[in-house]
Amino acid sequence: MTDFWRRNRSWLWPVIFILPAAVLFGVVIVWSSVQTLWISLHSWDGMGPMKWVGLGNYVELFQDPQFYVSLTNNVIWLVLFMLAPPIGLGIALLVNQKIAGMRFAKSLFFTPLVLASVAVGVVFTWVYTPQFGLLSLVYGAFGAAAPAVLSDPNAVTFAVVGAALWPQIAFCMILYLAGLNSLSEDLIGAGRVDGARGWRMLVHVILPQLKEVTFIAIAITAIGALRSFDLVSVMTQGGPFGSSSVLAYDMYRESIFSYRFGYGAAIAAVLFIIMLFFIVWYISRLIKAEREA
Amino acid sequence: MQSNKAGVSRRTFIKYGAGTAALAATGLGTPALAQGRKIKIFANQPEAGVRAGLKDIVKGFTAASGTKVELSFTDHEAYKTAIRNFLVTDAPDVCFWFSGNRMKAFVKHGLFTDLTAFVDKEGYRDVLGGVISAVTYQGKVWGLPLNGTLWGNFYLSNVFKEKGLTPPTTWDETFAFNDKVKGMGLVPMTIGTKELWPAAGMFDQFSLRTIGLEKHMALMDGKIKYTDPVLKPIFDHWEELIKAGFFLKDATSYGWQDAAALLGQHKAAMMNLGAFVNSALPAADKDYLTYAPFPKIADIPRYEDFSTDSIHVPSKAKNPDGGKEFLAYFYEPKNLMKFIGPAGAVPPRNDIPKGNNPLINQAMDSLRSVKGTAQYYDRDTDPAMAQAGLKGFQEFMAFPDRREAILKRLEVTRQRVFGNI
Repeated sequence: MTDFWRRNRSWLWPVIFILPAAVLFGVVIVWSSVQTLWISLHSWDGMGPMKWVGLGNYVELFQDPQFYVSLTNNVIWLVLFMLAPPIGLGIALLVNQKIAGMRFAKSLFFTPLVLASVAVGVVFTWVYTPQFGLLSLVYGAFGAAAPAVLSDPNAVTFAVVGAALWPQIAFCMILYLAGLNSLSEDLIGAGRVDGARGWRMLVHVILPQLKEVTFIAIAITAIGALRSFDLVSVMTQGGPFGSSSVLAYDMYRESIFSYRFGYGAAIAAVLFIIMLFFIVWYISRLIKAEREA
Repeated sequence: MQSNKAGVSRRTFIKYGAGTAALAATGLGTPALAQGRKIKIFANQPEAGVRAGLKDIVKGFTAASGTKVELSFTDHEAYKTAIRNFLVTDAPDVCFWFSGNRMKAFVKHGLFTDLTAFVDKEGYRDVLGGVISAVTYQGKVWGLPLNGTLWGNFYLSNVFKEKGLTPPTTWDETFAFNDKVKGMGLVPMTIGTKELWPAAGMFDQFSLRTIGLEKHMALMDGKIKYTDPVLKPIFDHWEELIKAGFFLKDATSYGWQDAAALLGQHKAAMMNLGAFVNSALPAADKDYLTYAPFPKIADIPRYEDFSTDSIHVPSKAKNPDGGKEFLAYFYEPKNLMKFIGPAGAVPPRNDIPKGNNPLINQAMDSLRSVKGTAQYYDRDTDPAMAQAGLKGFQEFMAFPDRREAILKRLEVTRQRVFGNI
């Protein structure tokens, strides 16, 4: 036994350490994903027997106008969410200055990150509520009537993304603040000797050092935009009439409220493929960075 | 040994006043009454008063029968998803749920126990009357009806008195009311459709007032096309009121509680929902909330939405006899009222004396002149159909001109769910 151990411990130790994570990942992620794909080929109400329908759910999905509305909204989320990294960087640069009171400002910008996203959604819903919401009061002060953004099919997604951006910007700010703290003093000093200041210092010396942070910020923001669900659920429930729905919310609604788990699983599968694109990009970058290091 | 103990507890049980004669005559299954037995109850009530009432009933039941009760509450919304798991895997002996189609979904999968014999034995048919149809499917009874909600128009009588208003009872009066109320700067009818279902309540009102109960139920069962011209009067009348500015503007931005706030702020005249609107009103106004039926439109008998929650014994219950025993105790009028009373709902039994809640009494009186009842759109039709319908009605209220496109879409869903006709 001890002999066996001695001969094999070079690979046994890693296996023992990796096993818990591998089992968890295998059950919670891989197995569930495979099962989701399997369910998406069936008609199933979540309780009774599953009926094989082949690609029927996908055929129906691609004919469903709601699918395209939700997909478009997912794209809007993705594009608008890309505002979070640059704005986060801007705020990080600002609050990183050594000015009196900046700590207080920093903590203010940090606040939305502490709030549960449900709380953010509820607060923004109140702000948007016509007649007695904050937005309406502000408009009212100028003698105007606030638009009912959550009732306007064309504006509603932007209103929800607006709420979601708030914590997301704070999140990017934190990432950049951490990055700014680990800048190389030597490089900055060298840059200063060479006469770089202000804008040129930022573009040529600071930003290149924040490349890795930027990459993480973009990847996490993209995935966050795609799995957006909580704010849609809290603020509009996909409404009015599905105008603000996203794929993740459709999946939930079809499965839980319409008892159509097969169809919900098909939506999940499509969403998974879209996300896969970003995940593969993210992981390949990570592997590349590791190889270079 | 068993029979001895059972005898004692049965006596106690009867002393506490169960369905007396019927129960004694039939001699409920002895093992269920034996001491040391246990039952499990899953409940979903959010209101503190109702919870306290239920706990009180459970305590009384344990004292009377010697059966231990494990009672657990789940959040109202989470319960809706959890029930599909626990009915299949780890079923309690008693569970709360909703009658109508939502019950049917589980009955079809054989997840609820057939209570027909139990109901006959306890003589519940006589005290329930027509309400029993809510828990009947294919001629069998699958549960007991609980809190009833009568849907209709609600207004504050103090506000109406002050402004000299009376609730409209006919279609013409509705328009006169509309003009008068708007002249006072009030919203004639406040409605929040953010949660979708209140829009379906409006659909039910127009449907029951124009095409009547029989056709309405045929539509719910998927036997009428959504594009069928027979439905035209529903949407014609509805559209007329929408275009007259009868309903709250931007209704999709409001949850029903936000919409009810306008009633409480005296900025709106009426609201079409259930008596639970009360919970969203300021304390000073609560006592003035008054029910009025939705105005008459076509010359047909009066039909209303009257939805009831229900209580069931899952078919995978470990101690179904214990579950039924609890139901019998729970359903005694004085126990039942501990549960129904705090909810401000209409009791299902008609042998319950009038209480001091004017809203309940009004609803009970009003129900006497009702010819037949539906449950509510999303309880009467298939869940997938209901989802599409709720969304469609929400859209119709915002954009009535899209009627045709909406109905076409609903018909696609109807065909998928119910098949061709």
